[in-house]
Amino acid sequence: MKIAVCAKQIPDPANEVTYSDGIINRPDEQVLDDTDRYGIEVALQLKEKFDAEVTIISMGPAGTQKGLQQALQMGADKAIYVDDDSLKGSNSLKTANVLSELAKSLTADIVIFGTESTDGYSGTVPQQVSRFLDVECISYVKGLEVGDNITLTRQTVEGSEKVNMPEKCVISVTAGGVEPRYPNFKDIMAAKSKPIEQISLGDLNIVSEQNVEFLNVDTVESSKAGEKIIDEGEAYQEIVNKLRELKVI
Amino acid sequence: MKTLIIGEIINNNLSSGTLEILGKAKSMELETQVITVGSDDTPTIGLNETKQTYIKRSNSSLNFSKVASKITEIIKNEDIKLILGSSTYMCRDLISFISVDLNSSPISNVIDFDLHDGKISTVNSINGGESLYKAKINSDHSLLLIRPKAFDPAEVELNTDYETIDVDNSDIEVFDIYIEEKSGPQLEDSKVVISAGRGMVDKENLEMIVTLATKLNAAIGGTRAIVDAGWMPYSQQVGQTGKTVKPDVYIACGISGATQHQVGMKDSKYVIAINKDEEAPIFQLADLGIVGDTLSVIPKLNDNL
Ligand SMILES: Cc1cc2nc3c(=O)[nH]c(=O)nc-3n(C[C@H](O)[C@H](O)[C@H](O)COP(=O)(O)OP(=O)(O)OC[C@H]3O[C@@H](n4cnc5c(N)ncnc54)[C@H](O)[C@@H]3O)c2cc1C
Repeated sequence: MKIAVCAKQIPDPANEVTYSDGIINRPDEQVLDDTDRYGIEVALQLKEKFDAEVTIISMGPAGTQKGLQQALQMGADKAIYVDDDSLKGSNSLKTANVLSELAKSLTADIVIFGTESTDGYSGTVPQQVSRFLDVECISYVKGLEVGDNITLTRQTVEGSEKVNMPEKCVISVTAGGVEPRYPNFKDIMAAKSKPIEQISLGDLNIVSEQNVEFLNVDTVESSKAGEKIIDEGEAYQEIVNKLRELKVI
Repeated sequence: MKTLIIGEIINNNLSSGTLEILGKAKSMELETQVITVGSDDTPTIGLNETKQTYIKRSNSSLNFSKVASKITEIIKNEDIKLILGSSTYMCRDLISFISVDLNSSPISNVIDFDLHDGKISTVNSINGGESLYKAKINSDHSLLLIRPKAFDPAEVELNTDYETIDVDNSDIEVFDIYIEEKSGPQLEDSKVVISAGRGMVDKENLEMIVTLATKLNAAIGGTRAIVDAGWMPYSQQVGQTGKTVKPDVYIACGISGATQHQVGMKDSKYVIAINKDEEAPIFQLADLGIVGDTLSVIPKLNDNL
């Protein structure tokens, strides 16, 4: 079984995000998007059972490759990526086009994603990739049981439902479903010798175009901080008064 | 502009998200039709003034890719240019599939849009809601995924008068369908929401949240941290990967206020936060902040209501 896991390098979420012409400024050193750790975890659980090969696929400025290293440290076998200036600010469709071409180049059976990246947060790329690859998409997976079949539990609006994983498909994994593993020292050392290969954009069949024109980006003003009261035993009274004023009681 | 709203069914009726988009489409006087996707037998979703088509699928098959192909066919046949859906699980799947068919990238998390000279411009939230992005769509088709509560819902009378189209099952069978029980006021439509975070310290302490909620006729929500910890079902999670709420009063109890949580509640009219850490980010958007121990403040509050 060949598994491709899509992983994205993003600026460390601890730092404030800045933009130039609507495009996120990406420092040389980026980290693995936490959302992707869930997808990698699912891939590794499949690998344990089926002796599968797990390849990380990624698009974006490679920089120091720290995020890719972090993905390999978790236990993926190798990584391939596309880093091309012409892809800066790509919309979700073009991103999906590139990633599906990478998955094709690996002849991957299963392609796994987190549900949405922390920075772009469009939440459409896994489904788009499945359409490009003409396979079904098992979206919002929050758990898996590996037995005779591989049973995936999907999150639904009303609760959950289960499906058996087909031989070829795309899976998107929601955060919280599985517990991503932490690499130990041995894993970290082992990752250093795992192959990371750059693929040229020219070798891929890209059909989609930029259809979204950037106009403006603004940080949301959330500083409407009101009064802050230190509780010395009576602060509940402030809440009672406020609820009365707001006619909740 | 010829517009299609992809509708959803909740409790045999059109979902609030669908009605919100319909409200916006009406205010813009767009030439609108609705295609609602569901698996109920005869839902009450017909609209008096707007064409409604029901795509009926079986919930024992994961067949959204087939549903999407059907919708793409209708879009092409009827020369529809603008396609709108809520940011829900189903619409995200459908609009993503359709975007590949139409070779037009969708825009997610849209909170407003407009039409100028035949082009759609949008405002959408990115980076977990930290920034607002304005853009113009230059392709033939515009596909938008709209965040819940972005618009006021249309006031409509619903009937059972519509055309129904059936779609085939896929090869993927769905089983063990589990529906979470819902009781008490629901998050999406309550005027008061009380949410709990890890600062409630222990699952058992949620009892005091239930007491408070009963007194205030409020719905109960929670952070992902406590949902992941199994204190509360996922259906009660508020935030980026959970529900979006917009109540008159939101009471955050022991919640740090991570951006992913904020996206789901920051449009609440009045926010009260109780947190023992004076520096907790939740205080930046609280109208009334109480720096204190939840386990001491909430019981006293309960005793005095
Ligand atoms: C991709 C992604 C999606 C996410 N989606 C969501 C989402 O939809 N919703 C969501 O909520 N989160 C989401 N998160 C998680 C989010 O980042 C935070 O981790 C989470 O919201 C924190 O929950 P919390 O406030 O309960 O816990 P913590 O961050 O641990 O905060 C607990 C707070 O309680 C306070 N406290 C502790 N004890 C007491 C006491 N006795 N009295 C008073 N205060 C006390 C502490 O000071 C602290 O501020 C997401 C994260 C990622 C990466």
